[in-house]
Amino acid sequence: MNGILKTAKNCRHYAMCKIDFLGSGVCASGLEKHFVSYYPQGRMILYEALAENKIPVTEKCVEIADSCNLCGKCDYQCYFLNEMRPVTVMEALKKHVEDYIKNGGKIKIAKEDSLLTEIRNIVGFNWATNDEAITATYSHDLSAISNPKFPDYVVLPITKEEIASLVKLFNRNKIKYTIRGNGQNLLGFAINDGAIIDLNRMKTIEFDEKNWLVKVGPGITAFDLQKQAQKRGYRINAAEPAALLCANIMCSGIMSTFSTTYGINADNFINAEFVDNKGDLFNLNEVSSPNLFSYKNLQHKDSPGICVSADIRLHPVTDDECGILVPFETLDNALDFIKDCSVRHIGLALGVVGAEYISTFLSPTKKMASEIKSIFVEKLNIPWLVVFIGDKYAIRAINEMGFPYFDQNLFNSLYLGLPSLKSAQWLDLIKELSDDEPYSYLKLKSFQELLETALSPSPKLYSQEVDPALRPFFEKLFSRPEMTDLVWLNMYRIMSSRLGRKKPFLPSLIYLPIDKTLINEFSDKFRLIAEKYQIENDFGFITPIDSGKRCIFEYDFFYDYNDPDSIQRIRQVATEANMLIDDYSVKTGTVKGHPYVLYQGFCRKENLLYS
Amino acid sequence: MSDNIKSAKALTGATGFLGSHLMASLLSNGYSIVILGRSTKDERLHERIFRLLHWFGIESLVNQITCVEADLTKDNLGIEDEEYSRLCSIVDSVIHCASDTSFAESKREKVMAANIGGLKGILEFSKHANIDIFHYISTAYAAGTGETYCREVPSIAKTFTNVYEESKAGAEKIISLFCEKNSIKLSIIRPSIVYGDSRTGRSIKFNALYFPVHSMQSIKDIYLKDLNINGGKKASIHGIHIDKDGYLFLPLKIYLHGKGSINLIPVDYFVNAALKIIENCPKSGIFNLTTNSPTTFETLAEYNEQFMKVRGVVIGYGKPSDNTLRNPAEELFDRFIVPYRPYLADNRRFDRTNTDLATDNLNPPEFTYEIFKTCMEYAIGVNWGASIFTIK
Repeated sequence: MNGILKTAKNCRHYAMCKIDFLGSGVCASGLEKHFVSYYPQGRMILYEALAENKIPVTEKCVEIADSCNLCGKCDYQCYFLNEMRPVTVMEALKKHVEDYIKNGGKIKIAKEDSLLTEIRNIVGFNWATNDEAITATYSHDLSAISNPKFPDYVVLPITKEEIASLVKLFNRNKIKYTIRGNGQNLLGFAINDGAIIDLNRMKTIEFDEKNWLVKVGPGITAFDLQKQAQKRGYRINAAEPAALLCANIMCSGIMSTFSTTYGINADNFINAEFVDNKGDLFNLNEVSSPNLFSYKNLQHKDSPGICVSADIRLHPVTDDECGILVPFETLDNALDFIKDCSVRHIGLALGVVGAEYISTFLSPTKKMASEIKSIFVEKLNIPWLVVFIGDKYAIRAINEMGFPYFDQNLFNSLYLGLPSLKSAQWLDLIKELSDDEPYSYLKLKSFQELLETALSPSPKLYSQEVDPALRPFFEKLFSRPEMTDLVWLNMYRIMSSRLGRKKPFLPSLIYLPIDKTLINEFSDKFRLIAEKYQIENDFGFITPIDSGKRCIFEYDFFYDYNDPDSIQRIRQVATEANMLIDDYSVKTGTVKGHPYVLYQGFCRKENLLYS
Repeated sequence: MSDNIKSAKALTGATGFLGSHLMASLLSNGYSIVILGRSTKDERLHERIFRLLHWFGIESLVNQITCVEADLTKDNLGIEDEEYSRLCSIVDSVIHCASDTSFAESKREKVMAANIGGLKGILEFSKHANIDIFHYISTAYAAGTGETYCREVPSIAKTFTNVYEESKAGAEKIISLFCEKNSIKLSIIRPSIVYGDSRTGRSIKFNALYFPVHSMQSIKDIYLKDLNINGGKKASIHGIHIDKDGYLFLPLKIYLHGKGSINLIPVDYFVNAALKIIENCPKSGIFNLTTNSPTTFETLAEYNEQFMKVRGVVIGYGKPSDNTLRNPAEELFDRFIVPYRPYLADNRRFDRTNTDLATDNLNPPEFTYEIFKTCMEYAIGVNWGASIFTIK
């Protein structure tokens, strides 16, 4: 496989190229055409399909190739997350099509059938197609579980009435339809044959500040809404930045480190509108509506319909919020800490992360992540960190509790000085210095100055680690204060996609009590399952919820989705991991696995956690 | 090792600093050794030992060794009955070197478990093997902080500098009672602060004497980097600069609690003296392996200045007042040397009557600049131990 095809086939399908998370702009053709096909992600899939002769060169294929102006924005975005440079694929796609035309190749024109005519009558000619260049780009999502499937039609409605009409049309014609947000479903539910209804044109945002609400259309991403909310001085509880809020609530509910304070599931919204499976509209607050606030312990429950808008809660923000990182030698100590904080309502956002997470998030390359991970564990003796966001009173409480921590300034120095950390021989002494009181060096009044002196942190230094051609961009990027601001990074979560940089991953998510024995048992057993199938694995994160009565625990399994054997093995791991969760669920009565929340994201958290 | 050798010595702590040097010396002198130790997560016991033999250049003596996986806290050392009985039948003396050398109060439980809790198994083994003599490697500082002249007698100290000293004094008492009760001869060997080989500088551990020097080097490196790469932006704030003769001027005032000295012996002296005691010990006794010419910290600072090419170190006595401004280098150095501070200005003197008798007046060499330089060059050459087993 050549390098270009390899890059194309390694697209993570995270849809991050559809949002402007670096402030460097988004692919212009994508913003105009809305189909994923016109974004870099779509072009990667399209090139793969053409290179492997899965589809012919079609009319839309030519249009998609032409629409790329090789601006290079996708290189910045994709390199930031995955260390890949998709522009080479964009160039290859354009060349492939140009050569095909130059050599007299016939361009296939997709024929409009009667159903497509009816669909187009509802949404307009431009917003529905059966062109294979488009349908091919909807054949993938994030899932490792399902095989790629080509839909027959892709439709992009803009109003709830259009959606209702489409549902009725598809029901009448017995056509399967599947709703797609940004294709981030982990279980393969965003791909199917039949019709794909892509909600990306429905990008309405209406603030109702008097009532601390914002009504969003189903095409609004967490990143875009957070940005708008922040401009007005608010915050929303947001999941991954490219996730569409309505889809996210629909699937499993919104969760983040801020869930410690803002909650999960029904805590995050007030109301929502739906088109039901018959094509009728209903509103969650109507007495006659289905009770989506309830919870049933069922795996893969049927979808209640299509969420066409949601009234999301806005949260206040104070100007003294800041982030700190509290290091721990053991997971047990970290769990004690987050439980204590959560029970006492100290802090806004809390999360325990392991060395794999923190090193991957902070490092601009895979190689550096691996080096930094071993420095964190072996030299700094920091296998665990608690990410803590709070106001000045919360930080004061942590000071009183006596925990040493990396404050925002130390974090800046550590982050932008990471390359120097690799050669810092003085780190050898740090461990001994912590012999009596772990991490006591963080309490030295002048440690900040010493760290700055020792690491010489700067955007320039940090950027030395990246591809030379991209260094000027990265240097400018990391000069921006938000890129090292722990509060911003936790609000927008742009780093979390880096977790898939080394390999795509499948997370196992569990709701359970903050019980050290239970969590250690799960960790050990997940590891054993993964090792049995030679699947790389690591602790993900733990966030306390509901005053420390429960937590969300993610454990990650890494695989290669271009390797059929690896896919087979990850499927086995997923099955056994789910069985393990089921066993504990029965045994303890307090453990809930993520698959049981699917399509129940609107439920009350109390019903999910305690029923 | 074949079973017909009847004078095997059981050795614990063979992978540690003193134990490994003692092991090498015993092997070189033709002794057979039963090594009672543990594997680590990454390395089996025999691999750890072989790595050390290789480092000492005595791999050919491997046949004089029996490595036995043993847990000192367990009955029969956690060894299968048959093997345990066999070991009892071949061992005629025990040298107990194994120890947790942490000074940290936060590790009290661990230190006590290792240094006191770990005695049970080895003492029971000594009884079962009906050994002739038990050699316990203790520390000169088991004498405690209350004494100014530390005799070679059982410690009656009540106060100690740290949990390590306390655990060693406690262990001496337990071992003494046990040996007395079971009519086992006992030698308690009490070295002071041990550094590398005075002739070659070789060592496998780089704490104690090395730590302040290592700390100084780290601080020097931090500011040299700032001076060389960033034009000394940070260094200049604190008056740190490079003098015309290439010395780094680093204003650093080190506060000691008073005038005093540090009692240093090289590991080659420790080994030679300990071997003489092991070979010649006619009756039970306590032996201070110490120097009568301890080195003042002022001398060490001079050595350090010359070796590190760092100027500006000043020694103060007493405690700095609360409003004394400490620059970052001073604050870091202060923190680095906290565990070792009590030993840097010590006024205790040590009785060596038993030692002189047992070792034919063998004395440690004076700690000269040449020895300091040899040891520090070796330490830096092996990156303070980080590459100890990759560079021979």
